[in-house]
Amino acid sequence: MSDQSTADSRLPIADRATMMRAVGRLVLDDRPRFVAVIGLYIAAAGAGAALPVMLGEVIDGIGTGWTTTRVDLVCGAIAGCVVLQLVLMRAGRRLGYRLGERAAARLRESFIDRVLRLPLGTVERAGTGDLATRTAGDVSAVAELLRKTGPEVAVAAIEVAVIAVAAFVVDLKLGLLFLIGSPVLYFAGRRYIRLASPVFLSERAAMSEIAETLTASAAGAGTVASYRMQDERRRAGFGRAATHLGRLKGIVRLQSWFLPATDLAFLTPAVVVTVVGGLWSMNGGVSVGEVVAVAMLALRLDGPVFRSMMSLSEFQMGGAALARVEGVHLLPDDERDAAPRGAEVRLEQVTFGYGDGPDVLHELSLHPRPGERLVVVGPSGAGKSTIARLIAGIDRPRSGSVTLGGVPVADIALEELRRRVILVTQEHYVFTATLRDNLNLAAPEATETELVAALEAVDARWAVDLPAGLDTMVGEEHRSLSLAEAQQLALARVILADPDVVILDEATAGIDPGSAGGVEASLAAALHGRTVIAIAHQLQAAEAADRIAVVEDGRIVEEGSQRELLEADGVYADLWEAWKGVAA
Amino acid sequence: MPTGKPIAGAERPRIGLTGVKPNPLRPAPPSPARIPTSPWKYLVRVARAQTARVALGFLSLSVSGSAWVLLPWVISRVIDEVVIAGTTEPLLPWTILLVVTAIASSWIFTLGYRFLFMAESHSRVRTVHELTDHLNTAGTGVSGAVSPGEMVNLSTEDAHKTGSFIFQLGFGWMGVVMLVVGTAVLWGTHPALGVTAAAGTFVIGFLVGPLLSRLQRHQIAYRSSVATLTSQAADVVGGLRVLRGIGGEDRFSERYRRASTDLREAGYTVAASDSWIQGLRTSLPLALIAGTTWVGARLALAGTITVGELSAAFGMTALLAQHAGGLIGLAQAFIAARVSSRRLTAFFKTASEIDASGTEREPGGELRDTDTGLAIEPGRLTVIVSAENEPAAAALERLARHRDSGALWGGTPMSEVDLEVLRERILLLREDYLFAQSLGATLRVDPEAALRAIEVACAGDVHSSLGSSLDGEITNGGRNLSGGQRQRLRLARAVAADAETLLAIEPTSAVDAHTESLVAERVAAERAGRTTAVATTSPLWLARADRVAWMVDGKIRATGTHAELSTEREYRSLTSRQEPR
Repeated sequence: MSDQSTADSRLPIADRATMMRAVGRLVLDDRPRFVAVIGLYIAAAGAGAALPVMLGEVIDGIGTGWTTTRVDLVCGAIAGCVVLQLVLMRAGRRLGYRLGERAAARLRESFIDRVLRLPLGTVERAGTGDLATRTAGDVSAVAELLRKTGPEVAVAAIEVAVIAVAAFVVDLKLGLLFLIGSPVLYFAGRRYIRLASPVFLSERAAMSEIAETLTASAAGAGTVASYRMQDERRRAGFGRAATHLGRLKGIVRLQSWFLPATDLAFLTPAVVVTVVGGLWSMNGGVSVGEVVAVAMLALRLDGPVFRSMMSLSEFQMGGAALARVEGVHLLPDDERDAAPRGAEVRLEQVTFGYGDGPDVLHELSLHPRPGERLVVVGPSGAGKSTIARLIAGIDRPRSGSVTLGGVPVADIALEELRRRVILVTQEHYVFTATLRDNLNLAAPEATETELVAALEAVDARWAVDLPAGLDTMVGEEHRSLSLAEAQQLALARVILADPDVVILDEATAGIDPGSAGGVEASLAAALHGRTVIAIAHQLQAAEAADRIAVVEDGRIVEEGSQRELLEADGVYADLWEAWKGVAA
Repeated sequence: MPTGKPIAGAERPRIGLTGVKPNPLRPAPPSPARIPTSPWKYLVRVARAQTARVALGFLSLSVSGSAWVLLPWVISRVIDEVVIAGTTEPLLPWTILLVVTAIASSWIFTLGYRFLFMAESHSRVRTVHELTDHLNTAGTGVSGAVSPGEMVNLSTEDAHKTGSFIFQLGFGWMGVVMLVVGTAVLWGTHPALGVTAAAGTFVIGFLVGPLLSRLQRHQIAYRSSVATLTSQAADVVGGLRVLRGIGGEDRFSERYRRASTDLREAGYTVAASDSWIQGLRTSLPLALIAGTTWVGARLALAGTITVGELSAAFGMTALLAQHAGGLIGLAQAFIAARVSSRRLTAFFKTASEIDASGTEREPGGELRDTDTGLAIEPGRLTVIVSAENEPAAAALERLARHRDSGALWGGTPMSEVDLEVLRERILLLREDYLFAQSLGATLRVDPEAALRAIEVACAGDVHSSLGSSLDGEITNGGRNLSGGQRQRLRLARAVAADAETLLAIEPTSAVDAHTESLVAERVAAERAGRTTAVATTSPLWLARADRVAWMVDGKIRATGTHAELSTEREYRSLTSRQEPR
């Protein structure tokens, strides 16, 4: 039940360089297609930019006496450009989308594979909160980036570049005039990208806080009614809303200068090209058509600039999500390859504490005998669960040793370790899968008879009686299991895995008092011959024990059979009196 | 363990001792009828609250849209009257007009953008306010009706979408203004140009837009694949301890890969149709430009219009077509807003299942649950023993009126008792929620009483783990505490509330025997003379009980002292475990 370990151990986040490498890798894996996509985008933008250019041709042509046929021909060519643009853009978008989809699939699959290989200690320490956020939110945010936002921004950037090139193609001098807006665009864009990221992130954070506060109000609706907390919850909700409004104002303040700045970036060249270019053309430097073409090209910048600004915040959020997804790959692997000889568990002079925290266990020694049922009792916070984690090989002691078959448990190869030792806590999990898939995790080839026998060993008659039997889908959205049923499932898994050592950390806490005794008795029978280390804060578990160890403040204060402990008249006997006294 | 040292400066009376007073801080809860139940009405209401901002936003965007669409026209005047005419004389006025139009269109656009953005922001805030108030009024009525995920959606996505339709409406309006002004100017140049531009924009905006939206139905299949994949990933992470502890990683990895492949294939299908949408979105405006240019070029060649007017036709059509996109967005935003609004109004329709119309303000006497026959005598500690937890818990919930039933309070039906009085005097303790607030605020009493409650509940370790300060912060759901700590903190809060009647369901199930014994002793002493009922089978509580009610199959079988009932074998096997089975 110790949660001390979850506070200070967030998972790492990738830095910029690692992220760029990750993006590079995703692109390189599909290089030919990536090149093709970029090529198509450029060609499509070119076809689009050809329109103002050809308008210029027509205007000049009209001035120089083109025939109707010739005008029709050029206008036909313009129409052709539109069709070409559609074909190219469609092909590019399709290929780009597929490219992104493939990259997203590769990324998420490698993420899950990595998660499934995380070292035991990391899994325990990181809790599931951070990892769950990365899995649910971040992975899809990155997919969205690769599939949608990325191509969106790429298309817009390429369009801006192609339009600029087109201006130079029309006329070198006009092209230079055209560029007059680009410093503004460059500096404003750079400043915006720098400032926008924290502003949008803080707005997102404020929104999550609203969600969290309201979700809490809903989850605690009964508590609010009981304690008449309506005012507090109102203040909390309204307070979060006010913070969010403040952050939204931050966004609009930022956009209030960036919007006019981007407008200037294309309005300035449009005005300057018209006026200065117009004067030049009166001197014969350029043609009227060329001036019109470049002015119209400038007006066309509006679309891509506005579009990329609008996707910028999503783009940056996608980047932040990518950093978190990639961060999981930065975790070190733990090297475990020791092989135990035998199944004897020994804790020798073990001192342990979480992180940089104080010692939780102090030179504790414990020698469960193979095949015995050892019950560890003691008050909350005495270090009982810590002992369980050490024996399960999740943590390493600061000093002293925890060994199984003569080798440190934390060094035993995981595959080997879980054939030997299994820890069942009161935290249980039901996978959204069939009952069978939930049971045979450790024994994929277990027969129907074996599965049913395991369920019966934990008194789980309900499971055998299900209409679809072992093929019944369980989990929240199918047949949801009660706490007690989930715990029975967890215990049945252990019976199927059949390890040498079983650690039960309050494993029957959620089962009704009327039936808990029955479950424990059947379980004891099924685990006969295994070393069972049961951790309990209630004394009911102690009665079936071969030996009892009493833990207080990280030390074993008493050890022996129930009879020995009662005769010793110590801590355990006191506790026992409390039980016995009442039944007299 | 806290020493119970008195802390100066906190002389607030303990809650519960002063009798029932109307709470001046809390305004009368809004009546549910105030919030419209139809999605459209809700949207209208949201928008109406922002009338001033919306009006100013629309006005600004009308001006800026007109300036925008006139910009190519001003350019064409420079071409015609200066360049073609070959005189620099009108250059200055036209240049000034050009600069003014450009600056006005951009600056006034920003102004309108701000108004609409703030209108959207304020309506989001308002929806959050309404959600907050509704949660307070509907109480436990919402618990079963809305999942945590939905609550997140309602307060973020749905609040956003019902607000952002105002924003989109503004841009749709701007598109309409541009269409009208642009068409008028082009019509003035030549009717054929006006007709071409207007018809084209209309087709793009009103016909093709919705058609394109239809194409997006592939997105729905895709979204459901995303949901499947996400839930499988959540399954892997949720059960990671089990997978790493017992095995089965390969199977789950494979299962995820299959779902991932399915999603990729669904993505390819989306790519095939979505790429058409994206392509057409850029090509349709170009097609319109090409059409107008062709018509204009013929007219210019015939000398009907000038080349300047031809370029104006080109530029204006380009702008019109581009902003026809705003109309497409408008249709989509409308649909999304309606869906969100429907979800919100459905939520606002949930109501408390507890009828609050009771008026009896001074009930008294025994609490009796007619369903089970359970009776709680005033002023004593009753323990309810039951082989199954659920029926005993349900009985206490009925007595505390967290479920409506025929329960009686000294002969008065619970439903006739004023709910506020009832909540003040009867407190139910179960797996209550711990909110994100300080330890002191959680306990809801002055520091002295808080420390005392902490001691009674043996929750000294909670206090010390939070830096031995009542200012230590607890996170939502008490996630920064262990299960045992949470349970004792809940108990401390209930003890601190010092209600006349405390009904507790399994208050010490996660506590060790030694501590449980202390808790039972201290709670019994602290609440001596008050009414307390505890549902548990623990002998440590039974030792302190004045009366024990033994429940079998959801009915009270016998009532008496623990010693009296212990003569029954079945009772004994349930409550005492030292006898060999």
